[in-house]
Amino acid sequence: MTLDWAIVWENAGALARGAEITVLLAVATMLLAIPGGVLLALMRLSPVRPLALASAGFTEFFRNLPLLLVIYAAYYILPLTTGISFSPFATALVALALNVSAYNGETFRAGIQSIRKGQSEAALALGMSRAQVMREVVLPQAARRIAPVLASTWVSLFKDTSLVSVIAVGELAYTAMRIRSQSFRVLEMLTAMAAIYWALGYPQAKLTDWLYRRFGVRE
Amino acid sequence: MTAPSVPVLAYENVRKRFGSFTALNGVSLEVAHGEVVCLIGPSGSGKSTLLRCTNGLETIDGGRILLDGAPLPPDAAGMRRVRRRMGMVFQNFELFPHRTAIANVMSGPLTVLRMPRSEAEHRAETLLDKVGLADKAKSYPADLSGGQQQRVAIARALATEPEVMLFDEPTSALDPETIGEVLGVMKQLADEGMTMVVVTHEMTFARRVANRVAVLERGALVELGPPAQIFEQPQVARTRDFLSHLGWSG
Repeated sequence: MTLDWAIVWENAGALARGAEITVLLAVATMLLAIPGGVLLALMRLSPVRPLALASAGFTEFFRNLPLLLVIYAAYYILPLTTGISFSPFATALVALALNVSAYNGETFRAGIQSIRKGQSEAALALGMSRAQVMREVVLPQAARRIAPVLASTWVSLFKDTSLVSVIAVGELAYTAMRIRSQSFRVLEMLTAMAAIYWALGYPQAKLTDWLYRRFGVRE
Repeated sequence: MTAPSVPVLAYENVRKRFGSFTALNGVSLEVAHGEVVCLIGPSGSGKSTLLRCTNGLETIDGGRILLDGAPLPPDAAGMRRVRRRMGMVFQNFELFPHRTAIANVMSGPLTVLRMPRSEAEHRAETLLDKVGLADKAKSYPADLSGGQQQRVAIARALATEPEVMLFDEPTSALDPETIGEVLGVMKQLADEGMTMVVVTHEMTFARRVANRVAVLERGALVELGPPAQIFEQPQVARTRDFLSHLGWSG
């Protein structure tokens, strides 16, 4: 078997553009899924029962469906129900954000519940409102406590963006697969794809470790 | 009390139940301006519950609690305004671990009083100095001893300039060698005329600092009087029993 690595260099520009879209998609998803997760967690912990039930329903629905199915469903159902044709990128973003929000919701809920009651009471005793207690005291501590979980969700998300290649979003996996099918250089393109994902993912994992050590709160 | 002034705090026949357990069974007590009242009694007697009802951390099931003659408001916004006028110190300090000592003290002024940052900072510096911790302003709670944390917590509670301070067993979680520094700060506050309600097991403190001591048992106030009476000539058998269990010889 002969390997022809020239195919990788010839398509370096396209691969770089794909990698850029992968990063963009992951960042945009997380930017939606963090507030989404906070909202789901606050709804789930709310004494207003319909809110708690809606959040629980949403979470259990999206957490237990394969992401690939959600991506396909978004691709076919979104335009049908809204009458608007979304770009593949926007469709992918919606599907990923729904899935990751459901995971983040559970993570934030666990984080919020792990902050002991005395902390809220001390804040209430100062005269803070419930919203201020959450914003000033509970969420900042919960966020630090769940940082490692969010980081690992991020690392998974970064790799899971490859699934949206099935709806022709021109991210890294789609680009690599397209070049493979045109050139038949399967092994070279798979190797290149693996190397790029790994090279991008590894520093992120290390960075999140560092952030955790830097901002972790001791008690 | 011969003074015509309204008591800062008045408890009128306060009742509180947790399920089938009666935590407070009709407690009545008045706390005058500048007075230090220590609540003592066996665990489960309702001392902490009475304190927690005072600022609405627990709701009451009967009776009334009045601050400066006005009953505690039933609504959340009204209760928040009342809480600014009461400082509370907890057994486990409950400093915010993600904030430095000075940021903890600034929490109330910034968030609740909406004070400008520079003014809040100045007030917090003054208060940290008052509790002897000016040099620890930038320290995080995890880097402070228990006694230091509790002194920061006192400064934090004072930062909204409350009319009354509520202490819930402030020294029970402390190492013996740091209890003195916290009691010292509390004594100083009392000497400055702060109205204080203190739940405590520190009988020496109660005897030296309290104007009156209230003995609770099973949710009822069994005896109320000046320390000399409570500790030397208790009128009620149950007070004598409680003090003798502590090894208090009078």
